[in-house]
Amino acid sequence: MSPKKTDTTTAITENVLGKTSSRRSFMKGLSLAAAAGSAALATGCIPSANAASSEQMKLRWKEFFKKNYRLMSQQEKDDTVARLERLAKLQDNMYVQINNEPPIEKVLYGYAFNITRCEGFMECVTGCIKENNLDRKTNTQYIRIFEMEPGKLDPSTGDGTYFHKVPVENKFYMGTQCFHCENAPCTKACPTKATWKEPDGIVVVDYDWCIGCRYCQAACPYYGRRFNWGKPEIPRDEITVKQHYLGNRIRPKGKMEKCTFCIQRTRKGRLPACVEACPTGARVFGNLLDPDSEIRYVLKHKKVFRMKDDLGTEPKFWYFID
Amino acid sequence: MKIQFTHYMRPLLFLPVLTLVLGMSGTSEASESLFIDLVKSSDESFDNRSVNHVQPVIEKTVLAKEQYQGGSFRVLARKDEIERFKCTSCHTDKNVLVKNGQELTHGNVVIDHGQEGSELGCIDCHHPEDRDFLEDKKGRKIDYDHSYQLCGQCHFRQKRDWLGGAHGKRVQYWTGDRVVYNCATCHDPHSPRFKERFPATYSVPLK
Repeated sequence: MSPKKTDTTTAITENVLGKTSSRRSFMKGLSLAAAAGSAALATGCIPSANAASSEQMKLRWKEFFKKNYRLMSQQEKDDTVARLERLAKLQDNMYVQINNEPPIEKVLYGYAFNITRCEGFMECVTGCIKENNLDRKTNTQYIRIFEMEPGKLDPSTGDGTYFHKVPVENKFYMGTQCFHCENAPCTKACPTKATWKEPDGIVVVDYDWCIGCRYCQAACPYYGRRFNWGKPEIPRDEITVKQHYLGNRIRPKGKMEKCTFCIQRTRKGRLPACVEACPTGARVFGNLLDPDSEIRYVLKHKKVFRMKDDLGTEPKFWYFID
Repeated sequence: MKIQFTHYMRPLLFLPVLTLVLGMSGTSEASESLFIDLVKSSDESFDNRSVNHVQPVIEKTVLAKEQYQGGSFRVLARKDEIERFKCTSCHTDKNVLVKNGQELTHGNVVIDHGQEGSELGCIDCHHPEDRDFLEDKKGRKIDYDHSYQLCGQCHFRQKRDWLGGAHGKRVQYWTGDRVVYNCATCHDPHSPRFKERFPATYSVPLK
């Protein structure tokens, strides 16, 4: 649902009822009243009794009734970010900096992966884990590197769990992650509109709007999405504190997550963590709309291909060979 | 006049179906190529200095002596990274004492560069007289910070890709003033191939 459409719907409702209250604020008022009784507290989606009437409970309460990120005004975005920062302090005694940096105009991110250069050192994977606050307990990884037989180009034929000295003679290495499709099937599968494509081409998830149904995971033909079965467990000194609302902030339990091209970095002009970590320079990242960018050079001068191109998903992730 | 429907007109029955099929395939092709066409047709240079938060890189850089498709760019400087630079502080006319021999010869340098049987020697790249410089096959003096000029004389394909952006990588930012890694930032010029080693981590099966 586009914000415009919602606005008109709200306007109509208001005209008809002659009131300024929306369904959401009505529900909020209703539940606030209900919260006074212990019955509502037992439902589980409401803060526990021992947090009641504390600052933490108030914040969590407001968080529970916030809008989808796409429908928020800038003020509402700033407010929720401030609440999340404060909650991180109250709940986990952590100082984090969450931002809501908007997309940069005239930018469409694209990614290229050199299968000739990658030697399977997997430093991109560790870089990604660290940057994106991924769960260390279940060893969640957004990137996978496959050791491939020559002549094969489908990663499902490769070995994704190798652990021996690399590179191995007569093998090549191929990395996969979320391809940020221009025509992304995952966004269409989501029943709550919790995942969408941003104007700069990044497919993001609103973790607070995701209900964890995993339809998007089923819809993705590239196995690009990961489901968390619990809040990420990270050693305290390894937490990346510079976070983004749609990116590497510490996800609540039971949410869908995935590569966001390190939205917290790229929207500030920095390279994604995997590109920065790559020791062989196999990863190229840049602005597809800029004719002088590295990614456009690759598309123009190299032999490129995309995985499962025939599906029409239009991934913004190309493989190329030297 | 009444038109007789005869057997040889039968294929005409499929004509509407055929047009429909052709028409559909035509539109689907158009929508598929839309995105890539948008990318190809955007030829307006992006103002790389317009992005907020981009800071100059911390590492020492030099202005490259060559251009890429977007104009001039910078490369990471090398001289400060070389352990014993400046070379002429040892390479003088003074005699070397035997007791310093162990320390002063480059015994730690192992050359694994060039094809087997015809490995490169020191003065294939280093200047035979002026030790603070490199020398290419045309006899031009090359600064250590601009070693890409030397490497590019054999590895011209890699250099072309490096200039364009398909080889090597940028430092820290995808936008802002372009700063790229120098050849020798990643490759040890004495044995440029990356060494075999264990990967940084491992993956568990997805399913």
